[in-house]
Amino acid sequence: MVLPAMAKIRLSFIFYLYIIVKCESINVDTISSDIRFKNVDRTIDISSQLVKITSRITLENIGGTPAKNFLLAVEDHAKNSVAFFGAKDSNNKEIRLVETTVKGYDYVRFWRAELKEPVNAGASATITVESVFTKTLQPYPTAITQQEDQLIKYVGNLFSYSPYYVVSQKTNVVVNTKNVESFTKVKPFSQQDGSIQYGAYANTKPFSEKELVIHYKNNSPFLTVTRVERLIEVSHWGNIAVEEVIEIEHTGAKLKGPFSRYDYQQDHHSGPASVRSYKTLLPASASDVYYRDTNGNISTSNMKVKKDSVELDLRPRYPLFGGWRTHYTLGYNVPSYEYLYQSGNEYLLKMRVIDHIYDDMQVDELVTKIILPEGSTNIKLNLPYAVTRLPDSLHYTYLDTKGRPVISFLKKNIVENHIQDFQLRYTFPRLLMLQEPLLVVGFLYALFLCVIIYVRLDFSIHKADHHHKD
Amino acid sequence: MSLEIESMVRYTSPINPAVFPHLTLLLLGIGIFFTAWFFVYEVTSTKLSRDLFKELLLSLVAALFSGFGILFLLLWVGIYV
Repeated sequence: MVLPAMAKIRLSFIFYLYIIVKCESINVDTISSDIRFKNVDRTIDISSQLVKITSRITLENIGGTPAKNFLLAVEDHAKNSVAFFGAKDSNNKEIRLVETTVKGYDYVRFWRAELKEPVNAGASATITVESVFTKTLQPYPTAITQQEDQLIKYVGNLFSYSPYYVVSQKTNVVVNTKNVESFTKVKPFSQQDGSIQYGAYANTKPFSEKELVIHYKNNSPFLTVTRVERLIEVSHWGNIAVEEVIEIEHTGAKLKGPFSRYDYQQDHHSGPASVRSYKTLLPASASDVYYRDTNGNISTSNMKVKKDSVELDLRPRYPLFGGWRTHYTLGYNVPSYEYLYQSGNEYLLKMRVIDHIYDDMQVDELVTKIILPEGSTNIKLNLPYAVTRLPDSLHYTYLDTKGRPVISFLKKNIVENHIQDFQLRYTFPRLLMLQEPLLVVGFLYALFLCVIIYVRLDFSIHKADHHHKD
Repeated sequence: MSLEIESMVRYTSPINPAVFPHLTLLLLGIGIFFTAWFFVYEVTSTKLSRDLFKELLLSLVAALFSGFGILFLLLWVGIYV
């Protein structure tokens, strides 16, 4: 293949540009030997369907220069199930985390924590790291009958996984049950009702791993929202309509054998692993709530208006056993003054990316769509975390001419920690609000004009007599 | 360039949603009255007595009131256009 000179130059230029971009986008860090963890206090909460690990780390700088940042790591087997990873300093302020890589440790997932105040040589700092993992708790056995309890097997790491030397560490596993079938026994350990303590273990090397297996009873709802589509429709007539289309599935141990509705209704302890109902919390200002599916309204629901929220007790049409799924639509209205801000023709919508569906929720896929009034321009979206932005589209509804702009984005693997606000800025000329009523007025006036023209037409065959006889 | 949220005010509708029902009834009432007048005029007037200016004026008033009335009816029943 022979390329003309110009094309060659252009190609190589694009190639170099590509390399520059690539180098800048991937962070490469090195593990500093100046940092070590003096103490790690770890709590692993596996009492729900999620694995929530909270570590209180006392970081010590044993080097000669102040440490501005340090690395946090997640082991190979868990790196793909991380739903949320966050860190806070001793003043409970968020620490900025940037995903990064370290040469030679391609199989580990790293975050670089950027401290606001550097840790001076010889000094130490306390940091709280919070992480949430989904799809880590596996039912074992994988199928149970209606009467049986659900047993769960957790496989984790006995040591806090860190790129640094750890002087002393303790782990507390919260299981919230006395029924623990078996658990890893590495001295020193102790078991109290509802929790198992490990440690203190002294002097663990960087990247230490030892299997921790706990097999225990866990009847908490194992519900996964496989897909939720959240639709936010902004109207400048003072209303914001929210609608969520939710697909939900019980992802715990599958139901083996038959389901007896009689046993289920008679004995309240029947089906301990099933989900009869759950609670959804809506904003306090929510009104006109509807809960329906393709058949129509689902009447088995209750709504309680509380001081700071509206609590919905949703009961699906049938109890959910392992492997069963359901699908419904939940919608409500909120007044615009709660979420919409204005300055001249500039508007700012500040709303939640996703709202509460049930406690300890786990969402596989979220699509949020925001429908703005017709004629909105200069749309800028600001999100609290990274999402996949979907192409903008148009939505046509009542009294629309060229369609309303729709902003949509997708996010996978969501937990409660992701309930945060997005900010959407746009420009909307206020006079455009008159477009909708004038459209109706214009239509009616056209109708009347047709009548005016019609009465002037003469369809008679007989030539009219100009002089009336009477 | 972009404004901070602190310097912005909360957005409320130019018309309080609480008065949507009253506005609907008032505007649609006037609208229907003028529509009726217009049609009565159309069928009762003859080729000779007809006045185009009066017809256009009546229909314009009827369209204006009915149009805004219909809009507030939509808003009242929950179709937030």
